[in-house]
Amino acid sequence: MSELSLPPFLILSAFLLACGVFCLATKRNAIGLLMGVELILNAANVNLVAAARFVPSLKLEGQVFALLVVVLAAAEAAVALAIFLNFYNNHATIDVDEATDLRG
Amino acid sequence: MFDLSAHPGRIYVLATLLPLVPAAVILLVGMVRHLAGRHAPTTAGAYLSVACLLASAGMAGWGAVTYFGEVERLPAAEVEARWGERFDWIRIGGSVTDQPAAVLPVGYRIDRLSALMFSMVTGIGSLIFLFALGYMADEKKSVPLPPQGEGLGVGGSHSDHSPPHPHPLSPGGEGSRRGRFDRFFLYLSLFAFSMLNLLVADNLFQVFVSWELVGVCSFFLIGFYYERRSAGTAANKAFIVNRVGDAGFLVGMAVAFAAFGTLNIADLNAKFDTNHPQDISHTLWIVLGLGIFLGAVGKSAQVPLQTWLPDAMEGPTPVSALIHAATMVAAGVYLVGRCYPMFAPEVLLVIAYIGLVTLFISATTALVMTDIKRVLAYSTCSQLGYMMLALGVGGWTAGLLHLLTHAFFKALLFLCAGSVIHGLHHEQDLRRMGGLRRKMPITAYTMLVGVLAISGAPLLSGWYSKDQILSSALGFGMANTEHFLLFVGPLLTAALTAFYMFRLWFLAFGGEPRDRKLYDHAHESPAVMTIPLMILAVFSVGVAWGWPIWDAEASALGKLLHAGQPHGHGLKLDQAHKLAEANHLLAGGLALAAAAVGIGYAWVRYGKQAPTPAQLAEPTGLLANRWYFDDVYDAAFVNRTVDAAHLSANVDRANPDRKAEGVPSLDGLMNSAATLAARGGDALRAVQTGRIRVYVLALALTTIGLLGMLFAFIR
Repeated sequence: MSELSLPPFLILSAFLLACGVFCLATKRNAIGLLMGVELILNAANVNLVAAARFVPSLKLEGQVFALLVVVLAAAEAAVALAIFLNFYNNHATIDVDEATDLRG
Repeated sequence: MFDLSAHPGRIYVLATLLPLVPAAVILLVGMVRHLAGRHAPTTAGAYLSVACLLASAGMAGWGAVTYFGEVERLPAAEVEARWGERFDWIRIGGSVTDQPAAVLPVGYRIDRLSALMFSMVTGIGSLIFLFALGYMADEKKSVPLPPQGEGLGVGGSHSDHSPPHPHPLSPGGEGSRRGRFDRFFLYLSLFAFSMLNLLVADNLFQVFVSWELVGVCSFFLIGFYYERRSAGTAANKAFIVNRVGDAGFLVGMAVAFAAFGTLNIADLNAKFDTNHPQDISHTLWIVLGLGIFLGAVGKSAQVPLQTWLPDAMEGPTPVSALIHAATMVAAGVYLVGRCYPMFAPEVLLVIAYIGLVTLFISATTALVMTDIKRVLAYSTCSQLGYMMLALGVGGWTAGLLHLLTHAFFKALLFLCAGSVIHGLHHEQDLRRMGGLRRKMPITAYTMLVGVLAISGAPLLSGWYSKDQILSSALGFGMANTEHFLLFVGPLLTAALTAFYMFRLWFLAFGGEPRDRKLYDHAHESPAVMTIPLMILAVFSVGVAWGWPIWDAEASALGKLLHAGQPHGHGLKLDQAHKLAEANHLLAGGLALAAAAVGIGYAWVRYGKQAPTPAQLAEPTGLLANRWYFDDVYDAAFVNRTVDAAHLSANVDRANPDRKAEGVPSLDGLMNSAATLAARGGDALRAVQTGRIRVYVLALALTTIGLLGMLFAFIR
């Protein structure tokens, strides 16, 4: 099995990013938005790890950053889910278009 | 402070500052009295003004005698040091000990020209101040106001198409105002100070400051009867037209300062001592000369900026005599005379031709004017044109001699006109006068002296100077035959001058009265007015005399001036001077013949028999419309300015808040800025939907767009 080169990883990453953005741009469900964000973050992770493998001057930096991103994503998801839960308690919905209380 | 033995020139500083004393006193007393609630007109300040100017005249006389004594026996450098000083007024840049980056000095420098001019200005000024004591006597008490004019209109140039001058003293108005006797002398004193400062100033900057000061005094005095609409517009016109010239003066000063780093007149003149001026390109040399000359064009009412002077006759007559005939309008000629070496040959040619055009156009206009003061005003323009022409053709002495002699006889003519107007209770229309020599003999015969002098009758002062001007012009025309017109024009105009001056005299004083009622109420003026007339008449006859008096070249005043003649840069000037001397008798003879023709024709038309009604009809055509200068300016500049003002006024009136009330306001522009911000906010608000999807889409599209641009540029 021949060694893969960098471009397939970048294509995968771009595809994931496109999916994530599409998800964000079409969903009204707050959980769906959160999943779109996760997709975008993972697209970035694929990029980082692939770069660490194929760019000679990099050693562990790509993996370390990817780990940081995973931690960040977990924290972000926790906060966001807490917000959504509270939102659901107050409005009995998680449709983000209904979140207009702060509009002037 | 005034160490006169080492620096006798300081007497001139003292004489210059003296008229400032009454001005300050009147101003201060007026303010104190106003605060104390006392509004009755005062008169004491006027007498103080007269006393101070008389003292100035005395000092000027002493100074002139001392100066002309010393200049003969002391070496030039010592005279220079004793009669001129300067110190730094403004230092720019550099600390206390360093050499400053730029310095604006003030100082004084007396030379032959300024010494003579100073004596002339203080002498004539004193006489006119005395005359004004009588002429302005109406202002000692409350003065009834004229009827209110119609609403706001445009331009001061239409004033002489309106029916006879509504004088502020004419009955029919409502209410009255306080007399302004002292205020008149406040302005006159301030003017005297400014004019004298202009004369002694040793640098262009100081000249410019005084130049503006005399301009503002002229503005105050033209608009002295500011209740009268035409007076207000005439004052504005004089001030604004002069700004055009001043812009040129500033450019000239800037060029001089940039090229030489100094504005001192003597230093600048020294740079141009040779025929090949150093440190300056030929183009800049021309710009420098034209700039300074443009300033003189404005102040001395030369074409194309001559239109303000006739309108300036709205001021009281002593003002016309002092400022708009004898002294201030001569400041332009004086400046050209003092800066003479700074003018390139091309510029001198321009000066000569501007003078030629001015003297001809003004003289022809004077032929048909019916207002006694306007005839004199155009005659002033014309004579100033003679002076400029003389300077332009290298006749420095001739031009400045004419400046001095003209000051005397023109002041005399104006004061006589003032006496007539005073005696006729403010009637100025020549067509309604006639026969006045029987009612006011002193005025009539002193005025005849003035008329003869300006016409160039032999042995009167005007003859000496005009003779010299014409011979200079003839010499120049013979040396440069393509410019021979510079001699023909003045010669022709000499005949016109004699004609219109005698027309004025015959119409006013000759024949039989044409308006019996006016004639019956006419009276000779009081002694305080007639004595200055007689003194001025004596000077108008004899001020230029020399020995032998029948030789125009032997004029003592001319010789004094001639010794101070600077180096000029005109075309073939040496040859022109020689030819002028050689053909002097020819020029003089032709001038005499021209004057005789003019006088004779005036006698035939107006003196021998009573003028026909046709001759007294309202004049029309090119001449009566002053060659359409005013109409062209109105169409090109005045009306356009007014249009712009209307436009911006309409913008301001578009006030959304108060439109319904029809309240004119100045808020339009401010409100439009606020409205723009509010509308813009409303438009941008639509973008902020609050929907995440839209934001993400916009973000994604923007990113794609930016990436696309990046790739496009990298390729």
